[in-house]
Formats: sequence, C-alpha cells, structure tokens
Amino acid sequence: MSVSSFSRNIVSHLDSSPGTSAALFVSGLVGTLAFMSLMALILIYVERKVAAHFQCRLGPMRVGWHGILQSVADALKLILKEDIVPFSADKLMHATAPVFAVVAMLLTLIAIPLSSSLTLADSNIGVLYISAVSGLGVLGILLGGWSSNNKWSLIGAMRAGAQIISYELSATLSVLVIIMLSGSLKLSTIIQSQANGWWIWRAPGVGLIAFITFIISSTAEINRTPFDLAEGESELTAGFHTEYSGMRFAFFFLAEYLNLFVVSALGATLFLGGWMPLHIGDQQGLFSGFNQVMDLIPEFVWFMLKTASLIFLSMWFRWTFPRLRVDQLMKLEWKILMPIGFLNLVLAALMTFFGFFFFATGRGF
Amino acid sequence: MVNMELIPKVTSLDERLGAMAAHDDSPLATQEYFVNMGPQHPSTHGVLRLVLKLDGETVREVIPVLGYIHRGMEKKAETVGYRQQVHLTDRLDYLCSVMNNWVVSATIEKAAKIELNDRIQVVRTIFAELQRLQSHLLWWGVFGMDLGAFTPFLYGFRDREKITKIFEETIGARLTMNYIQPGGMMYDLHPTFQAEVKSLLLYMKPMFKEYDELVTGNIIIQERLRNVGCLDAKSAIALGTSGPVLRASGVPHDLRKSKPYGVYDKVNFRVPIGSVGDCWDRYAVRMLEMRESVSIIEQLIDNIPEGKHLTVKPGAKIRPPAGVYFEQMETARGIFGVLMNSDGSEKPTRVNYRTPNFHNLWCLTKIAPGGKIGDLVSIISSLDVVVPDIDR
Amino acid sequence: MNTVIVERPGTGNLVSRFFYGFKSLLIGMRLTFKYLSHPSTVVTQQYPENRKSLKLADRVRAQLKFEIDGEGYHKCTACHICEQQCPNASIHVIERKPSATGKPELDTFIWRLDSCTFCNLCVMVCPYQVLKMDATFESSVYDQKLLAYNLSPYAGPTSGVLMKIEDPEARKKMIEPRGQYAGPTALSGYPLAGISKKQFPETTHQGGHL
Repeated sequence: MSVSSFSRNIVSHLDSSPGTSAALFVSGLVGTLAFMSLMALILIYVERKVAAHFQCRLGPMRVGWHGILQSVADALKLILKEDIVPFSADKLMHATAPVFAVVAMLLTLIAIPLSSSLTLADSNIGVLYISAVSGLGVLGILLGGWSSNNKWSLIGAMRAGAQIISYELSATLSVLVIIMLSGSLKLSTIIQSQANGWWIWRAPGVGLIAFITFIISSTAEINRTPFDLAEGESELTAGFHTEYSGMRFAFFFLAEYLNLFVVSALGATLFLGGWMPLHIGDQQGLFSGFNQVMDLIPEFVWFMLKTASLIFLSMWFRWTFPRLRVDQLMKLEWKILMPIGFLNLVLAALMTFFGFFFFATGRGF
Repeated sequence: MVNMELIPKVTSLDERLGAMAAHDDSPLATQEYFVNMGPQHPSTHGVLRLVLKLDGETVREVIPVLGYIHRGMEKKAETVGYRQQVHLTDRLDYLCSVMNNWVVSATIEKAAKIELNDRIQVVRTIFAELQRLQSHLLWWGVFGMDLGAFTPFLYGFRDREKITKIFEETIGARLTMNYIQPGGMMYDLHPTFQAEVKSLLLYMKPMFKEYDELVTGNIIIQERLRNVGCLDAKSAIALGTSGPVLRASGVPHDLRKSKPYGVYDKVNFRVPIGSVGDCWDRYAVRMLEMRESVSIIEQLIDNIPEGKHLTVKPGAKIRPPAGVYFEQMETARGIFGVLMNSDGSEKPTRVNYRTPNFHNLWCLTKIAPGGKIGDLVSIISSLDVVVPDIDR
Repeated sequence: MNTVIVERPGTGNLVSRFFYGFKSLLIGMRLTFKYLSHPSTVVTQQYPENRKSLKLADRVRAQLKFEIDGEGYHKCTACHICEQQCPNASIHVIERKPSATGKPELDTFIWRLDSCTFCNLCVMVCPYQVLKMDATFESSVYDQKLLAYNLSPYAGPTSGVLMKIEDPEARKKMIEPRGQYAGPTALSGYPLAGISKKQFPETTHQGGHL
C-alpha cells in the first residue's frame, strides 16, 4: 500500500466540515514541519558525506553507524547553545531575520506536489506564488546582515541582495519556457502535461537550455558555491550570519538546506516531470510497454529520486568549483544568462505555437 | 638606482587611520569605511592584520599591521648560540624549514670555515627541492580554498603527505625539521629514502595533470586571476620582492642560477618567468616550479655520493673569527638571507634574518587598491605569504 | 639562464570562451566524480580506533627517553653536556650528593615537555648515547606540573659501574629508585612565581636564557 494510495484513502473518507478542515490544516502543518525537519537532517548528513567522498576522506563516522546520527547531535548542540546577540545589534531585526528565511522556505515547500495526492497547496497560480514568496528570503538575509552591526556581515548581505534579485530574473525566464509549453501555472497541470515525456528532452534544445539556466540561477538564488559570496567562507568568515549562534543560526542553516531541497524539487517538477514516471509517448504509442513498466515505481519514489539527483548535482558543483567574484557574478547574469534566457523564451514561444516538440498532442512525431 | 616613489611612504598607523577620506557633500557621494581584516581570519595565512579602506566593494587602501607573532628570534639567536639558533629558523617560514636551516648552517660554515663533502651538498639539495615541492603543494591547496574551491585543499594535502612521510622517516619531524646542521645533516639518509622518493616522483607526474584539470583549466579560476593585482617589474624590484613573485613580474632572477649553492650548478632546470605580473602569472610560475623541482630531484636521486653525513662532531664548539658573514638562498617564497656579526665568542653578537615574506607583503599596498575584496584575497593568496616569517 | 615564459589563459571572443568554460567545468566535475566513485581512494585513517596498527617512523621525535638496558640501568654520568646544548633550558641534570662512588652520579634527570622544541640536539651530543627520542605522542595531561618528567628510574652510578659489582643486593644498595618528578623546577631558566631561587636544586645550566 503505497503512500499516495494511503493518503488518497484518508482524503476520500472525509467530508468537508469545519472540523475536518481544521484537522486537515493541523495535520498538514504537522506533516510539513516533520517533513522539513527530517529532510534538513538528512540533507546535512548527506552533504557532509558527499563532500567527504569527493575529497578522499570519510566524513562523520563516529556518531551512530557511519555517522548517521551526526545531524541529530548537531541539532541538539545548536538547540543547547548560548544565543549570543551583539551588544549594539538591532534586537528586533536580529531576531526576525532568521524567521523570514525559514518562513519563505516553508511557504514554497507547501506548494510543491510530492505525488498526485500528496499536495498541500495546489493553487492554480502555483509557479507565480512560488516566485513571489521566495523573494521573502532576501529580506531575511538583508535584515540579518544589517542588524548584526558588523561591517563584514553588511557586505555579505548587500552582495546577497543584489545577487538574489538579479538571478530571480533568469530563473523566472527559464520557468516561463515551461509555463508556455505546458500552458498553465498550476503545478499539477504542468506535471500532467509531462505524461508523454519530460520537458527537458521533449522540447528539443529549448528544454535543455532552460534547464541549465534554471540550475545556474537557482544555485545563485540559494547562495551556494560557485555563488556563495554572501557567506564567502574564506573572505567574510560567515557573511551575513557571522553574528548568529544557537537556534537563530540553526534557522539560517535550516533555511539554506531546505532551500536547496525546494529549488531541486521545483527543478524536478518543472523539467523532469515531478512525480510523473518516465514516459516516452502516450499509452498507445510505440513505448507503451516501457511506460507501463515505469508506472510500477511509485510516484513518490520518482519524485524523491529526481530531487535527490538534482541535489547531488548541486553538491557536486559546490565541491568542485571556486566562487565567482561579485562583478563577475553580475556580469554572468546580466550579460550572459539573461540574453540567453530571452532568446530561449522566443524560441520556446515559436515551438509552442507551431507545436514543434515531441509528442505534441495531435501530431505524431 | 631605486626609484623612491615606488616604495610606500612610512607613516604611523594613527596618522593613516585618522586621515579618513574626505567625502564631498553632493547627494550621491558615498563614504569610505575602514574594516579590519583582523588577525583571526580564514584567509590571511597567519596572524596578519590588514586595515582596509573600502569604498563599497572596492579597496582603496591596505595597511598591514604586523607584530602579532613577533617572538624576538633575532635577539634569541644572540643568547642561545650558533648551533641552537638553527632550530629557531624552522619556525620562521615553517613551510621552508629545511631551506631556512640550510641558510643558517651555510652562514655558520662560512664563518667557521667548516668543510663539507659532496654527499652533504647533494642531500641538502634534494631535501631543499622536496621541501619546495611540499611548500608549493600546500600553497596550491590553500589557494584553491581561498578562492572558494574546497577540494584542492584536500588533494594538495593528500599528495603532500607522501613527502611529509619521507621527511618523517629520515628526519623524524614533519614540520619543524632542524635537519641541516652546521657541518652536515643530523641523520644519515634512511635506507628506504631513495625508493620512496622515486615512487613519489612517479606518483607526482600524473597528479600535475589532475591539478590542471581541476584548478588551472577552470574558467572561473582563470577569470578571477587574469589581470588581477598586476605588479610591474620596476615596482617589484623597488619593493624588494623575490622568488616567484619577482619572477612572475618578468624579472629573470633566481639565486639558484645566479649564485649557485649546493649542487644547483650541476643540474639542468628551467626557471619559469611571467609576463604580466598578475595573479595568474604568480600561480603559473609556482605550478611550473613544482615540475622543475621534480625534475631536479630526478636528476639527483640516483647519484648520491657516499660519505659522512656530518663533518664536525655534534657537540664541537663553534667559534668563528670576528667579522660579518652573510649567506642567502632561494627558498620557496623568495630570498632568505642571514647576516651574522661575530666577535669570536660562542654566541653571535647580532643576527639578522632577511626574510622573503616581509618584502613580498608590501607589494600588497601597491597592487591591491583598485580591486575588489575578492581580488584582495586572491592577491594575498598568490603572494604566498607566511606571516611568522614577517614578524620573526 | 634557462628560462621559460608561463602560458597565459586563453583569450578569445565571448562565444569561444563560453564553450571553453563550459567544457572546463565539466572536466573538473569529472575529476571529482572519479574520487567519489572510487572509495578506495580514501586516505584518512580512523585515529583512536587504529592505535594497534599505527606505526610511526622510528626516528619520530615525540618524547625524550633514557636508554634503559635489561637490568634497568642507564649510562648517564651527569656530564651536563645535554643541559648546556639545550637551547631553552628544558633539561635539568641534578647530581646526587653525596654520590655513592665518589664520582659524579645522576640523581634526577628533569626534562620539561612543555618547553622542549624537540630539536634533537641533546640526543646528538650525548657522548654515551643515553638519550633517545621515541614516538609516544599521546602525552597530554590535565596538570602542567605533570609535564616535567624525570627520565631516570634511579639515582646512582651508570650501568658500567654497577655491572662490575657481582652481588645484586650490593647493587641495590648503591641506587635509590626515583619516580615521577614532583618538585619545583624552572621554566626556560626563570624560577616559577612565588618560589625563591634557594628552593631550586643546584644546576649547572648555562645556556639558553636571558
């Protein structure tokens, strides 16, 4: 009995009275928080292990079998640690900055469909909502840098602000390609439109370019190497979160790793089909047998595998590449990625209009 | 003739901090601010304090503040005696420990007229080149880390560990060697030395290609280093730089060729020279120097002559005749020179260490302004500054 | 001079640099993936667990020790040469007064680990090869006083003198066992605060301090 059929079962047995809506709300909240914590713990452990193996070493090995409980130990440490606030820091802003970061991430998390029935907030402006809400994260960084009353933090925060705002453009341009091809902003419709194949290969060339642009822009959005000069560890010690310790730092830390998850999940949803198994063509075409075999793997597993591979790609980037200087980063966005993004958009528009992609409905490619 | 305008003027720190940039009163004027890239920092390679005057992201002025690791080594050498000061020089530029020991020992040998045999000279040269390779490997790793790529650090240290193990077997220490003594070496070569070094050389050659794949050919590194921190040849000479920094600016100067010591005049090796003097040239010069070190060791490792490893008794008193003695050699970072003032007794009256990093650091005040903070980090890293050498 | 000019990074128009850049990034990624996918390239060791198989080189200098032979005797004649050579007064050789044989004898050989720089000069100059450095590197303690070691297990004459005496009981009468050194001793030649110089055992240390 897979996860999706289980939840479908529960949902179908409920009618929509206020009590049930409240129960659904609370269970959704609890579920999201639990998922978020678990995902953060797993991701931190995976990052450390993957980093270690890239670097010819082993990573955490002591706490639990091969270090599995390392994240738990880290979380306990951060909870128990003293919360140091600098003397001349702006106390209110210092306290609310991590909250902004976490809330922005949480709000995007609920909109991602984990499988055909495990969707918390499948609104019909899904992509627009995600773009809008992820902008709150910048606020967290800027507030954190400013309120720390530390010039190095401020430098880091200003860089991050400029970087995130610039790269949102490229990210949106690449997402627009998919919206055009699938014809809707609603995430579940976008996933359904990939029932004949994922957009990354179904739209020849355009999908791949949009995917690459999305990967680069989203890496910049979440401040990961090669774009991590907001928290450039060898230049600014820790950038905007230098003066944070204890639970407040834990929030920033959490937000960073879950941002990674959200952005990978979004990339998987838009370009790699979300929970849609790998289909080549529709159920009556040449590959119907292959499609039926692919359908045997549960949707949640598909989703997690795709997200995990994008997360691994992001980690691979982090541990291989050096970071860009701030003016090179801006140059990359405004002079290279944006023109490519616009060109791609025009090509995608033409492609949608004439239906020049594989398995467009009504055409038998 | 030295062009005095190229040498930074010496003013007190208070004067310079007090003279904050006057900003004009137009509404769009920005204010310059001072930041402390303090003694504790992930990428100042030691306890170096840099007071930066910044205008947004652009560096306007760099004021190094020294003295955080001053230990009075030159004074200490006056009280401990000739032989005992050798181990203190390990702790100057701790990555070129063997070379520092060699310079001091050579000065003492020159002063006390101690004769050496061929074996000593050849073994000293081999160890110096091994140390150069080891130092450059660490520099490469830390360079990648400063620029944000954390993996080269681990790869550099993994390969450096092989050299450290060779040192550990023969010398007994990994960092502060105290190996080259006046009159020879402390221990004779370990029986496995030659085989280990040969396998190391076989291992290192494909590793250089890997370094090129990971760091040298990477477009991000190239764009971050190209035309950053250009130091022209005239300024480099006026500021007293030496070593890879000087050679990267286009000046073909290498003490191993111009004033050969050890057996450097008997081996063939090339000296890498840069053309522009930017960070890329300093990087590429060191990468080529690593290859040349490997080639020097290759030429020497099979032809070590026999002989004693120490030509004076370990406890013999060293009483050089009164006079002033100077010896200089090319360490991995530049020219390390030792000046000794002797009055005939068992302890020198004055010792002065001319350390390469002290002079290399001052290039920073000339080449960092105008660049960004990220450039500053690249420049410090490419100058390969080891701070205990500066403060002694 | 045999010089070579280093290569500059490629220059070209934006498009060719773009494609070169993309390719160079992929090449770098391939290298790191190679290390990820081959777990045999891991070079780190799990330290406390591998103590039994840990083998350090025999010349490693981590702790100073006396050469003690099978009978438990050493060869130190208290000649003070190592004390004179030590650059920073980490060795104090205390003679036994009165000595059992009339010639100088060793009472306690104090070696301070907290000021020793492991320069190995003492080992090199000892005329009877009494001292050696071995690879015991786990010597951290919670009290600094415990870092002043007494290397000699007994106060008395050398093994050469002792082995001339046939009777083991007579030998035992000539020596007094000594344990860990517990008294005050100077650090780098300066007396410890609050303890007057008169409380120090007599030493003939000459070099290494201002």
